Amino acid sequence: MRFDGLVLNEQRHLKWRALDPLEHVLMILCGICITGFSVTVLGDVITRAIGRPWLLAQETMMTFFIYGIFTGVAAATRRNDHLYLAVLAESMSGNRRLFFEIFNRSVVLCVAFSMIYFGFLNFLDGFKSLRMPSMTPIATLYIAIPICGALVALFTIEQMVNGWLHGFPDRKGAPHHESAGSEVL
Amino acid sequence: MTSNGALIILMGFLFLFLGYMGVPVAFALIASVLVVTAFTPVSEASMIAQLFNGMDVEALLAVPFFLLVGDLMTSANVTVRMITLSQTMVGHFRGGLAQVVTLFSMFFAGISGSSAADVAVLSRTLAPEMDREGYDRAFTAALIASAATMANLIPPSIMAVVYGATGNVSIGGLFLGGVVPGVLVGIGLMIYSHFFGPVGIRRKRATFGHFTTAAQEAAIPLMIPIIIMGGILTGQFTPTEAGVIAVAYIVFVAIPLLNHRHLRNLPRDMAHTGLLYSIPLITIGGASAFGWMLAYLRGPAMVSDWISTAAGGDPFMIMLLLTLLFIIVGDFIDAVPAIIIFMPLIIELTKNADINPVHMGVVIITTLAFGLITPPYGLCLLMASKFVGVKFSKAMLASLPIYIVFFAAIAFTIYFPDVVLWLPKHLLPQSVGCFPNPNGTGYICP
Repeated sequence: MRFDGLVLNEQRHLKWRALDPLEHVLMILCGICITGFSVTVLGDVITRAIGRPWLLAQETMMTFFIYGIFTGVAAATRRNDHLYLAVLAESMSGNRRLFFEIFNRSVVLCVAFSMIYFGFLNFLDGFKSLRMPSMTPIATLYIAIPICGALVALFTIEQMVNGWLHGFPDRKGAPHHESAGSEVL
Repeated sequence: MTSNGALIILMGFLFLFLGYMGVPVAFALIASVLVVTAFTPVSEASMIAQLFNGMDVEALLAVPFFLLVGDLMTSANVTVRMITLSQTMVGHFRGGLAQVVTLFSMFFAGISGSSAADVAVLSRTLAPEMDREGYDRAFTAALIASAATMANLIPPSIMAVVYGATGNVSIGGLFLGGVVPGVLVGIGLMIYSHFFGPVGIRRKRATFGHFTTAAQEAAIPLMIPIIIMGGILTGQFTPTEAGVIAVAYIVFVAIPLLNHRHLRNLPRDMAHTGLLYSIPLITIGGASAFGWMLAYLRGPAMVSDWISTAAGGDPFMIMLLLTLLFIIVGDFIDAVPAIIIFMPLIIELTKNADINPVHMGVVIITTLAFGLITPPYGLCLLMASKFVGVKFSKAMLASLPIYIVFFAAIAFTIYFPDVVLWLPKHLLPQSVGCFPNPNGTGYICP
């Protein structure tokens, strides 16, 4: 089993080595989620085909699916792997560049804090609704949003602090449109 | 209270401004929605919950599988066999390698729903060979990018899954409807390459023996489209289930038989694909919140009124105006958020003009696929120009004549609904609104 190379080494100066294990764990969780999700869907198909449907399949696959998405979003933030329209800030330099890089990350940080706060409110509210047939509160899924928000905030602060101290990568670095985020369509 | 129109403009401006400054699309969408929510009685918590609701759609479960299929096939290097088969079929034509690019893309489109995977494969394998044969790099990049768009037309298509899931349109119907524009684009590119592309090196026609050997070697990967579409058409599987069966086939049959050493890399592939599928889906979540707020502010109703008034109720005119709108939108916004944001508008116009939802879906998807090669946000062209090693501006100029192929395909899709809907009507009649004849013989189609 090979899990090496899961921590992206690009834009190293924007990262703290102390958070590398966290990125590694998040990537493994991404793999576990998609594998668990695939196995569950396959199990659902097989059990229905043999006439003994697995009642919890729908819930289980949705759990892996939702957690996979929010885990992936957190990992993508550290790897700068999101989907971008364009990165005008990269064509700038000096203080203007620093301002816009910090501004962009401040927007992400605000969204992350909103995910933490409002996501937590939704989590508390989620104990009133139950998922069928297991009768598990939907809060067990809603909690993924504030957790993801916290991780996104952590990685964004990491980039802001390191970018402020060491500068942001120049245009020779990998442009965003070539990152994994562009591989989706 | 600020007027709805001003809030819609503010939300759209914020999204584009933040997006073009370099904020990730998903976060730009969420941020613009949260700002506008502050001016409405809607709670911010409900908008964050909308992120979740946008993803909690069963049909979207198919997206990871169609990404995984393309990713596994590419990383296990199984696709080379399909390239060899394409070479034996069209390699002897004028501009042989250009023809191979197009034919391979048609094969690959039947396996993967991702254009980007197609660009990656072709740029790594055929682009260097085309370079050696003297093909202009700008032409190579333009052709690879244009051919890769077929992955969104020929089933399985991720755009069709997203469109069907959010618009409550039959995904099977959209898959089948996409075949005609997909094949039209393919044929158009082959004709263009034959008459207007570089000559390349003329090869001898492959013997029947070579062709049968190549076909045998490519048979295992080429079973995947049969599994996916066969399962859906026979009613055995939903698109999600067909996707997982295809993944299981690759993991348990294709890779062990064709490249068994790659099995040890599977955990790493899964981790990367796990990351990859989260990116469009969080964008879908953000776009869903954006679309919800747009609908709350009655944006779709306003635009729908303008378009209906301008088109005078003529369905073809409505589709033309929508195509124009989506050509502009597709130039600036990614296809997935564009579909979700504008879905309420599409639904309203489809209903008002009595257009078949599958037909409308195919027209919109074809238009958005074209957006993958148009500047400034032509994702496939951006990737192809980078991988091939040519300036984006040069690749864009080389792709301009190819636009004619897409305009022709879009026009054909709009004006010949019977041809576009022929396959869905015959193979999946209920997907296009046909219902069983009470006499028990066949279907009655409106």
